[in-house]
Amino acid sequence: MRTFNRRQFLSFAPAAQRALSGYWVHVAREAMACRFEVTLPATEPRGIAAASFALDEVDLLEAQLTVYRDDSEVSEINRNAAEGPVEVERGLFELLSLSKQLHRETDGAFDITAGPLIRCWGFFSRQGRVPDSAELESARRRVGMSQLWLDAARRSVRFAKPGVEINLGSIGKGFALDRAAARLGEHGLRTALLSGGRSSVVALGGDQGGWLVGVRHPHQPGCRLATIRLKNAAMATSGAGEQYFVAGGRRYGHILDPRSGVPAHGVAGATVVASSGAVADALATAFFVGGADLAERYCRNHHQVLALLVPEDPTDQPQVFGSHRGAAIEAISIDELKTRVSLIP
Amino acid sequence: MNLTPEQKTVGRRNFLKALVGTPALVALGTNAATRQPPSGGPVKAALIGTGDQGRLLLGQCRKEFIDLRALCDINPNRLDRATSVLVKNGWAKPRHYENWKEMLKKEDLEAVLIATPLWMHSEIAVGCLEAGKHVLCEKMMAWDVAAAQRMLAAAEKNRRVLEIGYQRFYNPMYQAAYENIILPGLLGEVHFARLVWHRNGSWRRTEDPPPHFDPKPWGYADWDHLLNWRMYRQYSGGLLAELGSHQLAVANWFFNSQPSSVYATGGIYQYKDGREVNDHVYATYTYPQGRTAIFTSIQSNKFDHYSEQFMGTKGTLILRGEAEAFLFNEDDSRSTSVEVSKQTSKPVMDASESLKADAAGHPGAAATAEKVDRAAAYGLEIAGFCSAIRSGAPLRCGPQRAFNAASACILANESAAKKMVLAIAS
Repeated sequence: MRTFNRRQFLSFAPAAQRALSGYWVHVAREAMACRFEVTLPATEPRGIAAASFALDEVDLLEAQLTVYRDDSEVSEINRNAAEGPVEVERGLFELLSLSKQLHRETDGAFDITAGPLIRCWGFFSRQGRVPDSAELESARRRVGMSQLWLDAARRSVRFAKPGVEINLGSIGKGFALDRAAARLGEHGLRTALLSGGRSSVVALGGDQGGWLVGVRHPHQPGCRLATIRLKNAAMATSGAGEQYFVAGGRRYGHILDPRSGVPAHGVAGATVVASSGAVADALATAFFVGGADLAERYCRNHHQVLALLVPEDPTDQPQVFGSHRGAAIEAISIDELKTRVSLIP
Repeated sequence: MNLTPEQKTVGRRNFLKALVGTPALVALGTNAATRQPPSGGPVKAALIGTGDQGRLLLGQCRKEFIDLRALCDINPNRLDRATSVLVKNGWAKPRHYENWKEMLKKEDLEAVLIATPLWMHSEIAVGCLEAGKHVLCEKMMAWDVAAAQRMLAAAEKNRRVLEIGYQRFYNPMYQAAYENIILPGLLGEVHFARLVWHRNGSWRRTEDPPPHFDPKPWGYADWDHLLNWRMYRQYSGGLLAELGSHQLAVANWFFNSQPSSVYATGGIYQYKDGREVNDHVYATYTYPQGRTAIFTSIQSNKFDHYSEQFMGTKGTLILRGEAEAFLFNEDDSRSTSVEVSKQTSKPVMDASESLKADAAGHPGAAATAEKVDRAAAYGLEIAGFCSAIRSGAPLRCGPQRAFNAASACILANESAAKKMVLAIAS
């Protein structure tokens, strides 16, 4: 096979770059049971290489954070932390600390110790079932951030009792995108849109005010609830329209209220814009669980958080709380009426 | 080639990894010439042959590049159907002709697209070139080698652009694979290419003739001979011409070579319905420097779908269905996919809650839409042809490569008939 040396090869470049303007390149990989994708202007000469390194980071984090593999660091914590303190990697310790802080700030609506509840409702194995009251009580006794002791000095984690487990499913994707975005930055990339399973998005830079992203309407699949322009901001969406089971004529969504131990209800979809993917992910779950009250209170007390909530009752209007300097809601669909609302100050 | 989802994941990942660090991602866009309308305005053109392939081309024509004024076909039903494709896409109703020679006389044309049955390619293409028209002719180039040579000679003599419809040369995915994997030698030493096009169906068309239609004056014994011309030797080169030549053109391109000999076998094994071309074809092409390409096309099993596979000492590249690329490194299990889309004023993606995995545990579909697809390659091909006419931009395939692919496929049919290894003149 004819092989060109690097100089000959590079001589193709200028025409190539001209040819590429007006295109996006999407670099994708499957990780964390979903599709991670980095979208870049095709003219970025090192873009695909950088995106590949960024996705390597996601692979590494999945290997560290998953509860679906016995050899992950989180699985090791779940196995051993009831016996004694387990020293954890610096990044993971920071994620656990952030999770604890977000738990406090959301009045317990966000809780990474909900693992036993996820199991007893069958969502861990994706085979939902209603647990009996004894099972549920047993699981609830093992849930709560008070069961998780973090020692910053020793960077260790310990569980208060056996049977406690952590599950980073509601923050891990956003965290992975943050780290992936950082890798892109290290490679000199200033413009990219990263997404994980559609639900988590991190926008780096972006021309004309940022990346235009649609948000699907939770009540009307195929319709857009809103389009949002994102620039140096992260966005996450939670909902239970896709993952649920029906038993005894009742519908049970996969997002559990860690405080009551039963599936959250009242909200059909919660979309949150924040400055990091991890925070956006966690708050989207928290607001889905805690509803408009929590979202309103949180956004009042915390700057740079924007929340868009669609109530479960289709006759109720979507609600917007707070604002973020990197997000402009360009169009929102309310009763088929598209109004233009800019929330950028 | 049927890959498990896991294999696809690995292959996609590696395809991307191979592209990493190569500055010339030419591939992922297209030739600059095909993206900007050429100065000099759209090329005044007509289409001869408005069957399935002709309509496919019409659907991909862009007004900035081409000014379609007339359609020609001996079948009035096909003319009407093709016209509705154009009108639906906002074109003015083109003028209709039954006879291409009459069309050339009456119309002010610079170029002609030809998508007739194979046996007519050369006569029409040469006639158009002699009349000073540029020609984009569907593949395969011609029914026999002499006819293909006449096309080459006519293009050269009349100094006209002649391009043959091997759309893979205009497909961004193939360009990416060639520029960023083949050229830098990422597959290592490649000794084997497997060209596979497997289907499970008769290849036979059913359609009523237009009222009072008589195909005899046009050289077809009856309606079935016209409708199912691919089945009859007089008009067709069978699976090798219709399918194999696409893939052989890619093998020649990626090997930067052409086969020196061919041995083919096959027969009519499944559909003994009066057809004259083989429904199973197996052709082994020998290239210089120890390389071999094996083309198989069967019509009794579709498990393998269609793909071109290049097996090297360092890795395997699989181009599947003109839509997906996979790279498997010999000693590395990682892979990434790369796709391309056009920038538009629409959202880049639609966010939603996490989509649940399917029953097999595979993640939901991509969040982004409108990737550059297989059909788009035809549009880029037509744009590239028009740009070549206006600005002299180089053709991506060109008549010589098309000739090489055609002559190898024509000889493969001969080899199967004679049960002999045949040398292919270079």
